[in-house]
Amino acid sequence: MTTVNTTDRESIAEISNPLGMEGIEFIEYATSRPQALGQVLETMGFRPIARHRSREVLLYRQGDIHVIVNAHAEGGGATRDENPVIAAIALRVRDAAAAYRRALERGAWAVPVHVEVMELNIPAVHGPGTSRVYFVDRYKEFSIYDVDFVPIPSVEQHPPAVTGLHFFGLVQYIGNDRSEDWTDFYRELFGFTALPADQRFGILPKGRILRSPCPPGATFYLQLIEPEPSVLELENNECFQRVGLGTPDVLATVAELRHRGVSFIESGRIHSEDKGALTQTSLGSVSFELVHHTRD
Amino acid sequence: MNHLQGNVDDFGMDTISLAGPLEAKLKAVREAGFSQIMLSARDIVGHPDGLDAAVRAVRASGLRVTGFQVLRDFEGLSGHLHDYKVDIAKAMLEMCAALGSKILLVCSSTSQHASQDLDVIAKDLRKLAMLAIPLGIKVAYEGLSWGRTINEFTAAWEVVSRADVPNLGIGLDSFHMFATQSSLDDLELLDPEKIFLVQLADFMWQEIRSVEERMSTARHFRVFPGEGVHSQALAELVQRLHALGYRGDYSFEVFNDDYQQIPLPVVARRARRSAQWLGEEVLRRSVPLPNQIRLKQRAAG
Repeated sequence: MTTVNTTDRESIAEISNPLGMEGIEFIEYATSRPQALGQVLETMGFRPIARHRSREVLLYRQGDIHVIVNAHAEGGGATRDENPVIAAIALRVRDAAAAYRRALERGAWAVPVHVEVMELNIPAVHGPGTSRVYFVDRYKEFSIYDVDFVPIPSVEQHPPAVTGLHFFGLVQYIGNDRSEDWTDFYRELFGFTALPADQRFGILPKGRILRSPCPPGATFYLQLIEPEPSVLELENNECFQRVGLGTPDVLATVAELRHRGVSFIESGRIHSEDKGALTQTSLGSVSFELVHHTRD
Repeated sequence: MNHLQGNVDDFGMDTISLAGPLEAKLKAVREAGFSQIMLSARDIVGHPDGLDAAVRAVRASGLRVTGFQVLRDFEGLSGHLHDYKVDIAKAMLEMCAALGSKILLVCSSTSQHASQDLDVIAKDLRKLAMLAIPLGIKVAYEGLSWGRTINEFTAAWEVVSRADVPNLGIGLDSFHMFATQSSLDDLELLDPEKIFLVQLADFMWQEIRSVEERMSTARHFRVFPGEGVHSQALAELVQRLHALGYRGDYSFEVFNDDYQQIPLPVVARRARRSAQWLGEEVLRRSVPLPNQIRLKQRAAG
């Protein structure tokens, strides 16, 4: 007779979201040109709302989306680069310390922290390239920004999102034949799952899409894109490449952002349509993808 | 690239066969006509001008790095021993990445302190592979013939399969396969895509009677393929791997005390002769020639 292990039955939910992930807390850019990047972010509807207490770091916000612009030369791994890079993402999790320990036990690389007095020690592991993945568990009753940042006076602290923009996902460029490696990496360490090949969003369907284990309403996606087969292998070519923002009405958002000065790519293959749109690249590396998506 | 060079390019030398400083080894290997080299951590950390200078020398040589060796006694440990070995593994992975090597060679544990539970071994290898992913490195796990738990390629394959990570595969070493008289028929069990490295060496005796003799032979008396008494078996191994679909590199893993005290170009020429024998007479992998490309495509279609 087969023994049925009843304890396994209830562990399914636990496995499907092992960190209790509930979305993205912030995206961090590292740049040596924070003002130029700030201008780009402002045309996209973000507003600078707070400054870091000890470093040259600004916090931008619109709706529920937070973007940190880090111009602190030592802190951000890649700030020497002229073009801005996506240096970090922060995941909202149930218990940051537990999430961090679990990731390390499974083979993540710890990022050494250098905090100043009275600053939060936010645990992080290495992501693709020089990037980091932070774990944040204080986003409900109070926020990490209350501790490390000082609000900019007379600035609206909660600017509304432009036309319902919300965080949708990130595109990650990866090396040749690396889709399986990165799929396993995100599955093992964070609980992401790969979507079937026919399930795609927006206007740039290439590569593989991983869904975060977050509950409905907080889900976001990672899109892994390998080089074209004809492209020779380059070293250090893996990075978070761009941010995807969801909107219930892509064309309305495109119209509003154009009005604010954002340019979109309108070529034969890639152009603004109901499904999605892509901004032209600013500062050599910064672009945003719009995706038709409504929050559940 | 001529036809001859194409076939020899599948084979590379290993720095452990040569005496002297890293730069001299790189020069001898390149001048013997090889395009790739297997590096040891010792070559790099022992460089008198430090790690960065060693990395620059390797990159300046123009040689492709076949792989980087060797992480030992990693799997099956617990507590502080495990944490210590993870630190060692991370240092090895960082060197491997700095050298532009895509492969880290890991040998099965000989430690009496290590667990013999295959699931524990698989779990540790999975963690190691996970550490290697952001650096773009594949982990080749090799069963040492005197490994405590994993001592044949079939057992190595079993734990690699249990670990089930895309960047974890096996490394084969002909010496260990012949020493344990593993059946080459078992190669059929392997997925050729998961064979990340094949190391070849011959030796002078017909059979090895004890584990002690196995270890001393492996560490001191190996010779290049074709120089010993197992040429036929080596030829069969290479042909079987080809038939199985293996298209990766072959590296000559030749530990030999005599080769450590003769001039580097002499040793490298012996290796070159071995590569020519294997490339031209045994393996004969097809090299695309201008007037053959169409034929190849038609055959493939």
